[in-house]
Amino acid sequence: MKRFTQVLGAGVLALAFGAISGNAVAEKVTLGVSIPTATHGFTGGIVWWAGEAKKELEKKYPDLKVIIKTAGGAPEQANQLQDLVTVNKINALVIFPFESASLTQPVSQVKSKGVYVTVVDRGLTDTRAQDAYVAGDNTAFGKIPGEYIGKTLGGKGNVVALRGIPTTLDNERYEAFQTALKATPDVKILDAKYANWNRDDAFKVTQDFLTRFKHIDAIWAADDDMAVGVLKALDQAKRTDVKIVFGGAGAKGAIKTLMDGSDKRIQANVSYSPKFIYDAIKLTAEARLKGEALPAKTIIPSVLITKENAKQFYFPNSPF
Amino acid sequence: MSVAVHFDAIRKDFGPVRVLHGVSFEIAPGRIYGLLGENGAGKSTLMKILSGYETATAGEMRIDGVPQVFGNSRQAEAAGIVLIHQEFNLAEHLTIAQNMYLGHEKRRGPFVDDVAMRKDAARYLAQVGLTISPDTRVRDLIVAEKQLVEIAKALSRNARLLIMDEPTATLTPGETARLFTLMTKLKDDGVTLLYISHKLDEVEHITDEIIVMRDGRFITREATANVTRQQMANLMVGRELSDMFPPRNPPAADAPVALKVSGLTVPGWASELDFEVHAGEILGFAGLVGAGRTESFEAIIGLRPRSAGQIEMLGRPVQLKSPRDAVRHGLTYLSEDRKGKGLHVNLPLADNLTLMTLERYAHPWLSLQAERAALRQAVAHFGIRTGDLDLRARMLSGGNQQKLALAKVLHPDPKVVVLDEPTRGVDVGAKRDIYFLIHQLAAQGRAVIVISSELIELIGLCHRVAVMRGGRLQTMLGMEQLNEEELIAHATGTH
Amino acid sequence: MQPAHTETGSTRPSLQRMLRHVSSLGPVLGLIVLCIAGTWLNPDFATLDNMMNVLTRTAFIGIIAVGMTFVIISGGIDLSVGSMAALIAGSMIFLMNKLVLAGTLSPLAIVLTGIALALLLGAAFGAIHGLLITKGRIEPFIVTLGTLGIFRAYLTYLADGGALTLDTALNDLYAPVYYASLLGIPVPIWVFLIVAALGTIILNRTAFGRHVQAIGSNEQVARYAAIRVDLVKIVTYMFLGLCVGIATVLYVPRLGSATPTTGILWELEAIAAVVVGGTALKGGEGRVIGTVIGAILLSVISNILNLTSIISVYLNAAVQGFVIIIVAFLQRSRH
Repeated sequence: MKRFTQVLGAGVLALAFGAISGNAVAEKVTLGVSIPTATHGFTGGIVWWAGEAKKELEKKYPDLKVIIKTAGGAPEQANQLQDLVTVNKINALVIFPFESASLTQPVSQVKSKGVYVTVVDRGLTDTRAQDAYVAGDNTAFGKIPGEYIGKTLGGKGNVVALRGIPTTLDNERYEAFQTALKATPDVKILDAKYANWNRDDAFKVTQDFLTRFKHIDAIWAADDDMAVGVLKALDQAKRTDVKIVFGGAGAKGAIKTLMDGSDKRIQANVSYSPKFIYDAIKLTAEARLKGEALPAKTIIPSVLITKENAKQFYFPNSPF
Repeated sequence: MSVAVHFDAIRKDFGPVRVLHGVSFEIAPGRIYGLLGENGAGKSTLMKILSGYETATAGEMRIDGVPQVFGNSRQAEAAGIVLIHQEFNLAEHLTIAQNMYLGHEKRRGPFVDDVAMRKDAARYLAQVGLTISPDTRVRDLIVAEKQLVEIAKALSRNARLLIMDEPTATLTPGETARLFTLMTKLKDDGVTLLYISHKLDEVEHITDEIIVMRDGRFITREATANVTRQQMANLMVGRELSDMFPPRNPPAADAPVALKVSGLTVPGWASELDFEVHAGEILGFAGLVGAGRTESFEAIIGLRPRSAGQIEMLGRPVQLKSPRDAVRHGLTYLSEDRKGKGLHVNLPLADNLTLMTLERYAHPWLSLQAERAALRQAVAHFGIRTGDLDLRARMLSGGNQQKLALAKVLHPDPKVVVLDEPTRGVDVGAKRDIYFLIHQLAAQGRAVIVISSELIELIGLCHRVAVMRGGRLQTMLGMEQLNEEELIAHATGTH
Repeated sequence: MQPAHTETGSTRPSLQRMLRHVSSLGPVLGLIVLCIAGTWLNPDFATLDNMMNVLTRTAFIGIIAVGMTFVIISGGIDLSVGSMAALIAGSMIFLMNKLVLAGTLSPLAIVLTGIALALLLGAAFGAIHGLLITKGRIEPFIVTLGTLGIFRAYLTYLADGGALTLDTALNDLYAPVYYASLLGIPVPIWVFLIVAALGTIILNRTAFGRHVQAIGSNEQVARYAAIRVDLVKIVTYMFLGLCVGIATVLYVPRLGSATPTTGILWELEAIAAVVVGGTALKGGEGRVIGTVIGAILLSVISNILNLTSIISVYLNAAVQGFVIIIVAFLQRSRH
């Protein structure tokens, strides 16, 4: 009996030591993830992919803890950053900022507390506030459809464009789109209007474009959600002149249509997957667990998706 | 210094309609004037011109000999002229001191100087005989106190000429007496007072001179001592006014009990109330403000919770949980607060008239023609003066609004009707119409309950009068026992 | 009764009535001016197809605004209608997709079940609002601000943050409810007209409508006049909920989907339509026909902006703001 107690005691001691020594060797990483709440398809995807990353990585690395916070606006996001630092005691942060300017200062506060900061998608106005930057390729997002439409129309035709919400991101994309079309001067952009990355608004704006312009060859819907509204408006008006509807971002439904070839107006897309939040979390977590740093800038390239390569962009479980 | 006013051929047009036809008279300083006239005689408009709320279309107004045109009430206040409205201009949520200095806040640097304002406010409150903290919120005051606050506010603005529009309309006799003492004191201090009232006994009692207006014209000016009340009334209406009250026929001896209330207790307001009223009888309710008369009847029709008591109508017990139940059983109530609870002033006349019995006109679509016919009939029957049946109720004069309100509560054809202050703010002519109407209702076999603060009215009108004090029924006086002394003694508990 | 004594009634009825008339025409005048401007800027504006487009897309907001007219006239407000529409749309699609998987009902029966659910949910949500406001004695602004967040959050939860998309086969069956025409006029316009006509009749020609106006004009007076104030209020919110349900029934077949952006800011558009149409925000009086014109006016503005490029796209929202203020100014003399 006495012997048994000794063994047990030794075991407990060993366990305790083991735990302590484990801590000393590999540093524990508490990773905070700050992203917008799911208010439309794309942010819905962001939330889903962040959740996927948490599930996968926490299972794989016992020393990793991922805390996801979603915010409805820039001020709320700034408050959450403070909570993450003071309450959750994070030592790494992956943030998808609502706005560049208003979050630069709060993020730099976090960094000054010794937290490793990876910024996703929207760069901060002062890059010193971040350790690493992971983003999709907004220029390619506009350039690829521009080139595709120019080429497919054979260098001649009328195009209308839909825009998202007035932001620098939207401006970058639209400017790249315009620049790409300069290569084919006979492809004219008739007009571009904001439809707020919203299906209903896209439906209305397209209806009015169709009333206004009697002949349109291609519509750059600039987003797969908006493309849904565009297609419905075209069907309702029974307009057959529109040969191309180019969405963007590679939403599940749009990729499925492309793969099945179920709508001949949809022949291509451009990738801009919310999956980059997954990549950013994974890259940051793995690098920090090893105590390494990320490259200052990682661009997840946007590529042209066609029927041939569509399969690798299809994630049936993602909501986006 | 007091203020002397001289009106010279003042004219006022509203669009194509002329409401003042060249009014000329003067007011000497340091006296109390009674300004008499029926509703629509133009006295309110003239007083608004004097106090800067309106400007005259033509004519001249001289203050202390100097021609003046006030662009707003602030300019008039600067000249020492203040009008106290019948409906007070007080912000209910602010304190007395805050109200008194509203728009004229004392400052110390950029900050409001609350200390100084409170101190001054307390001084003016003492001057009007109100012993209450200046930090009290106005919504916690009773009507009489609000009145005094208005006067204190006027004094704080150095008022030298005070215009009071129906100041005693909502006061009890005791409060009225106190107000009159204050008015006399103000006069002795050199303030000129212009007193607008329909209560001729009060005019007779308090004023030095009367000025009578009729149809937008100046009629006469007399020393009060030289005219009787009867003559005043005749001057106002422009013809002989026969007796105000119709002769009283007592209800039939075998008339059934229309309403019987026993053991009524309304938490906070009334306890153990027992009374009954017969068909064809006019039962008065006397008492001071706060005696619980209004609250008791609100509880009877289901607007307030009652903790005990039984109600029987025509011998059968009834459950009245809401005004709707009351209407269904043939009991309706006219509120004392015409604009707040009685009439929808922003709705058309017909909508007001039929509101309590709208089901009668809905099959299921409302018949606008039937409603209009009912309105036409009511206008004729109740003597409502209106040029246009499509008007909103707010466009009627006070007396006509009251007639409409009466028509409304009588529209469901009730067996018992409770009239709370039926002649408040109504001129002599309309008052008389209402008294005759009440008698007509009784003659039709309805039981009429009249709650009133005007003792003359209760004495002249009722078969019996119940006197309440502090939520309890003090006594029930028969016709032969009715006189002012008796009523006041029971109401104040000095019997 | 003795002859009445003289008291002058109103002194200026004819003038007042004239003014009332002119000012009540404010929205109509605004609409006419806009239509002329639209035609001048782009002749395509005046085509039948464009008119039908504008009226069809007005239908959702318009139908909701008719219900909102009642609530606002009664002195209330409902901020949740956009979120409510989104949640109803989401619930409908969710249920219909589940029924397809279950496979026991015919597609037509499934669509009808979905429609019934939408109407039922709308009325139920309205009843909850009404009960919280009357029996719970919470300000309508607060109650509906609360449900605004709750409804949208549940939709987002149902949709997993993405889009709920109706089964394709069902959508083909259901689509005519939005896309089909009857006598050359699209179905949503018919429904809009019927709801507006019903609203007008209920407001002006029933005891309930009169009671709604009486409560908004002065709740105390209404209480003293033996009106069942609480019941009438609850019914106004239920009616609005029902209108939201009807609007959603028309909305779902348009895109066949519900996303977390569905119905966003509809509450403000509906309230703007009501107020531009001449109903006082503080309650008491208003007209359903004014609301209809207000709703059309608002969608005509964005239609004209889409049909032209004379104004920077950045200023589009400002134009709507200016028009709302100008129309409100035109009818300010009503009180």
